[in-house]
This record gives sequence, C-alpha cells and structure tokens, in this order.
Amino acid sequence: MWGGVYAGGCTPFCLTLDAENSPDIPDSILGCGRMEEMILGKKKKNSSIMKTEARDAWIMMAPAIIVLSVVAVYPIIRTVWLSLHEMVLTDPGSGYPLIGLKNYTAIFKDKRAVESIVFTLKFTVTTVCFELLIGFTAALIMNKPFKGKGIVRAAILIPWAIPTSVSAMMWKFIYNDQYGLFNDILLRFGVIDKYKAWLSTADGSFMALVITDVWKTAPYMALLILAGLQMIPEELYEAAEIDGASVFQKFFYVTLPTVKTTVLVALLFRTLDAFRVFDLISVMTGGANGTESVSVYTYNHLMKFLDFGYGSAMAMMIFAVVFIISLIYMRVLGDQITDR
Amino acid sequence: MKNKMWKKVAAIATASMMVLSLAGCGGSSNAGDANNAANAGSTENAESTESADNTVENVETAEESGGEKIVLKFSFDQGVGEPTQKIVDKFNASQDKIQVETVILPQDANTVHDDFVNKLASGDTSVDIMGLDVVYVAEFASAGWLADLSGYLGSDITDQMLAGTVEAATYDGKLVAAPWFTNSSVMFYRQDVLDELGEEVPTTWEGWMALADKAVGINGIEYGADFQAAQSEALVTNWVEYVWSNGGDILDANGTPVINSEQNVEATEIMKKLVDEYAPEGVTTYTETESEQVFKEGKCLFIRDWSGFWTSGQGDDSKVTGLIAATKLPVGPSGTESHTCLGGLDLVVNNNIDDTQKDAAGEFIKFMTSQETQKEMTLISSQPPVIKAVYSDAEILEAIPFYSDFFGIIEGGKSRPKSPKYAKVSDAIQRNIHQAMTGEMEVKAALDALQAEVEELSK
Repeated sequence: MWGGVYAGGCTPFCLTLDAENSPDIPDSILGCGRMEEMILGKKKKNSSIMKTEARDAWIMMAPAIIVLSVVAVYPIIRTVWLSLHEMVLTDPGSGYPLIGLKNYTAIFKDKRAVESIVFTLKFTVTTVCFELLIGFTAALIMNKPFKGKGIVRAAILIPWAIPTSVSAMMWKFIYNDQYGLFNDILLRFGVIDKYKAWLSTADGSFMALVITDVWKTAPYMALLILAGLQMIPEELYEAAEIDGASVFQKFFYVTLPTVKTTVLVALLFRTLDAFRVFDLISVMTGGANGTESVSVYTYNHLMKFLDFGYGSAMAMMIFAVVFIISLIYMRVLGDQITDR
Repeated sequence: MKNKMWKKVAAIATASMMVLSLAGCGGSSNAGDANNAANAGSTENAESTESADNTVENVETAEESGGEKIVLKFSFDQGVGEPTQKIVDKFNASQDKIQVETVILPQDANTVHDDFVNKLASGDTSVDIMGLDVVYVAEFASAGWLADLSGYLGSDITDQMLAGTVEAATYDGKLVAAPWFTNSSVMFYRQDVLDELGEEVPTTWEGWMALADKAVGINGIEYGADFQAAQSEALVTNWVEYVWSNGGDILDANGTPVINSEQNVEATEIMKKLVDEYAPEGVTTYTETESEQVFKEGKCLFIRDWSGFWTSGQGDDSKVTGLIAATKLPVGPSGTESHTCLGGLDLVVNNNIDDTQKDAAGEFIKFMTSQETQKEMTLISSQPPVIKAVYSDAEILEAIPFYSDFFGIIEGGKSRPKSPKYAKVSDAIQRNIHQAMTGEMEVKAALDALQAEVEELSK
C-alpha cells in the first residue's frame, strides 16, 4: 500500500508543476507535447496543448487521487478534527465538546508523553546509527564478486521478511531468563556467570530492543545501499586507480559521494519507521521498564483508555515530528539532486 | 533559478505527500481502525465458512417450520471456542425460532476488547451477543453500549448465581451483563516436596517463605515461588490478592482510593520479597504462559495461577503431572482471610440492535445460564460455573474432585475495582507496581504515586 500511495501521491504535483513551469525538462517526461511545440513553433498553440496535457494528466491520476483521499487524506482530516474534541468514549455524557487545542497543550504537560518522546528519539537515533553502520558494511561486502553471492543476498533479507510481531516473539524467547539462547551463548563465552533476565531492567530492555530492531532492519538498509553501489560505473574506480588513489581514497572520494543520495533515502525510510516503532515494543516489553514509545502510548490512549481526543492529538504530534524529519531529509536530498 | 525553485517546491510537495501517506498508515487512529475492522471482517468470513454446514441444516428446519428465523451473532474468544460451539449447536437444535451463529476471535483479551470497541463505538450491529471479560463491563456500560438484561434475568435466576459475579455484572443498579463463567486463582504446590519434607500446607506468606527456604534443592526445586509480575493485567490480579489477603483494599466503601495504607505497603513488600529472593529472576517479565512453563519444568515449589491450570498444568508436556495439589492463597500478616481475584467472562448484548433481536438474545442468555447448560459447559471446558448448585453436583465432583474446596475459594473471591476508567486504573497499577517490583522505585513511593494517580482519576 505504501509504495502505491507514494507513487500516486507525488506524480500529479510533479507533472503539473513541471509541465507549466520548467522549460528545460527532458523530452522524455513531457513527451509529444514538446515535440509538437518545436514543429509548430507557435506559442498560442503550445499553451492550449499544455492545458490539454495537464487535463489529461489529472484525468489519468484521478483514480489514484481518489483512492489516496479515501485511505489517507480523509483519516488524517478526521484525526485532526477528533484531536480538537474532548472525546472519551466511556463518557458519552460529556457530549464530546470542541475544546480547541487543549489536547495539544496537555501533551507537553504530560510527563509520560514527554518521556515516551525522549525514549523514541533515543531509540531512533541508536538503531538508525547501528543499522547504517552494519547495513553499509554488509552492502560493501555483498558488492564484491564472490562465490554464492546470490544466496548470501537472498539470505540476508530473511530477517526483514519475517513479520515484526513474529520476530519480536522469537527474540523475547531468545532473551528468556530460563531457556534463552542469548544467555546460553554469553555463558559459553564467559561474558556472564549466570543466566540473566534481560527484559526485566531498563538497560537490558533497551539493549534487547535495539539488537532486535537492528537484526531485523539492517538487511533492508544493506539492500538499498547495495542498489546504490551497483549504480557506480566501474570507470570511476579505474580512473581513480590510474590517478593512484588508495583504497580509502577510492571509498571517500568515489563511493561515498556517489551513494550519498541512496544512503539518505535509506536513512529517511528507516528514521521514519524507527520513530513509529510499535509492534516490536508491544510484544517484547509492553512498554515496561521505560520502553514506552510514542506509538505505544498513543495506542494506549486510543484503544485501551478509549480517549479518542487526546489519542488523536498524540497521533497528530507523531505526524508532525515525522513531517519535520522528512522535511529535513528532503532538504538535504533536494540539495543533493539540484547540485548535480 | 526559477527552475530550481520549482524543483524544490515539487520535492517538498512529494515529501509532504509521503509523510501524509506514512501518517495515514501508522500514526492516525482511523487508519488503525480500518485495519482492525478489516481483520475482524476476515475472521468473520472464516467463521461463516466454518459454520456453513450448520447454516445449511438450519435453513432446512426453518423451511419445515415455515417461519423466518431470528439470526443472532455471538462473538467470543477462541479460548472457549470449541466447548461453546457445542453448547451453541445444542441451543440451535433445541428450538426453531432463533439461530445463533458464532464469530470466534483470537484468544487475547486485548484483541477481543479492541474488536468489540471498534464495532460498538461505530454503532455497528453485526454482532448481537458478546463474551466480555468482567473487568470491561463497567467501561462498556458507561459508554451506553450494553443492553439492560434485568428484564430477562430476574432475581430468581441471579439468586442462584455466585453473589460476586452478579455484583460485577451490575452497573448503576442495572444488570448489564449475564455472568457466564467465572475464574479465580489458586495456589498450586508440589505435594511430593511437602511429603518429602514432612510439612503441612502453610496458610500464611511467612509459612510459605519458611517452607521455600527448606524446599530449594529437593526434587529439582530451584525457586521457592512462581507467579505473574510482568507489566500486564496479570500483575494487577496478583497484586490485588496480596492487598486483599492482608486486610487492605484499593478503594474503600465510598469509592475513595486507599492505596498507600499500611496494610498495602506491607502486602506489596511481601510480593517484592518474593520477587527478590524466591521467584525466578525473570518473574517481572512473566505472564501466565512463562510462569507456567517454569513450574511445569518442576523448578518451583508453588505457582499462583488460574484454576484451569489444574488440567493444563498436568498434560503430556508437564514434568509435574500427578505431583501437584491446590490450596487457597495464603494470608498476609495483617490479614485474616484469603481473597482470590475473580475473572471470567460475562455475556453482554449490543444495545444498538432492535428489540426483537434483544428478546431473542435474552432467550439465548437464559439458556446459557441455566443450571443444566452450566453443568455441561463445566464438564466439557472445566471453566468454573456461576450457578452455585453446580459445584455440589455429584457428576461434577467426580470429574473435578478439586471443586469441593474450590467453591469456598471462589465464594471468598473479590472483583477488581469497578470503574468506567478501569483501563486507566489498571494501567496505573501496572506501571507503579511493576516499578516497585523491579526496584526502580521504593515500595512506599510507588504506592504514594499510585494513590495520587488513582485520586486524580476518581475526581
């Protein structure tokens, strides 16, 4: 669904904006309109063709736009509307009055909400850093030709393919204080002298969650970065070698600048995903030991406490943070594209 | 320049659409609702295909009698799926006016709760009767989602039921739910270890701790105690039992929170001591399943668990089959009587359905709570019935001998605080008591914090 919504969402904007305002867009995008313009060489004709084209574009995009409005825009508008009300389902006597921004101001006074935001940011930064490091390394290794490369590439994706709630259950058992594999391995290596209950302390829980998340999503990072690495033309490395570049110089002056955009896109996806972490925490700790993420806390308000007003405000806050993160990345990405 | 600027605008537009779609998927409530609804829909579909042959049969009977049947949808969790289906089939065969179709949900109290909330909050009438966990009755009743059942279950019927279960099904003076089956916890212990030591069954926490000190090392015992202390509803049920059995309470008779009382601090200290010195290290991550696993491995002297563990704890996968016995929960130093925490499911009727449907649902509920049905349900499911007479039935006692003692335990059982804000009260108990158990907070400080939170909620 995500991919579809994304593609459907952006295209109409790109098409119409570009068609009307950017004269030096390649022909391939604008297609026959540009060709006719060149043949006829008439400005008036051109504008009417442009109009027809814009109209056709809208018609073609209409199904996507309609689907998008139903599944994405309407729920968001509805959430905004709910967030402006005092709406606790167990208290229908209140009449669900409109209370303006009170739910939003309450978030900042709510110690638990603030703690959950801090935890989520900490979790996001830690996991994304490790994922980038491990993912990049794995991608570099997989990019080298070696026997069984295909199998390794397929195998590395397995953790990513398992549904999060299933892998969370699996890892919960791995950390079990009686039978856990994690304890067994550490004991054999002499790191610990007796089995520990990893999920019973704040530090242990945080570490366990980070390991599980990195295990699950580093392959995704690796695959995206690998795709970027494969787009680097071999000639660049040859030229660098002729100039006498060392391995490190090749990495820093050829590889890194070329995959930068891909890495940023991968980082954007992972940051947004990590910030919205829910199922992993819900299954592994249930938010205990200070591991309540904003999504878990929001879910509690919406589904457990039936406080739709405050819950919706929390959801909108997540939306705002995710929006800001995207804007920052897009800003960097945008510069990347236009600088080329 | 202009070109660059537009590209940027396009990029920002793209970004915003991406974010919108992201939020649509994850953050917003409605998208989540849609997902849940979709899930619920698929469960229903799966169910309707399953019960397809039933329906066919009944269409035939309907044609024979020449009348339109009233179709009722009955939704409950998988945990009692099979026995309930048998009982429902029997009801469908017993008369020709009403056809009950089952909609079985996964065995997870939260999932079931959320499914019902989604349906009821949107005024949906796709479900008529629900099997609802007793703790949610007040919440659902206060939202106006439950039909008044007083007209269908008169005092002649409710008087035959366990008083605690009827009280828990009453909200604002109205009977909004019909007790279906109840549940209470028991102390399961290793009879072989007690025999080995030549000890009597203790009745106090001090007694159990003294026994545990001696028991470690005998017959594979590694831990003196086993219970559920993960941050979950299971922790609430465990903790209230320490409190009640030590003469304490959560709310007093007027509904005022009395959480940081001396008895409660003492009771919580006992629980904390068990966590620190007697239970497996991971007990603060255990819900029922994990704690049962350790006990079934034969590593624990006792486990506090729901009565159904009598059967499930002595299956083929258990190393303690035939070695366990059950007794009532111990009392604390300031307590006089042991009180177990009552659980179980109630039958509730969707308030949005029309009167004909409601009357039919009333018929069905009368059938479900009749002594005969209750006895049969107990025999095939070993769920504790709500009709008192069933506990002394000869056939039942032959099948489950432990019920002769169990009746006393269940009669002394108490219900968790009844409040429309129960979810919040429970959440506050879970967080604060869990912090006390893991040592993040001092017991007294945790109870003070809890008292303050519950006071805030009862305003």
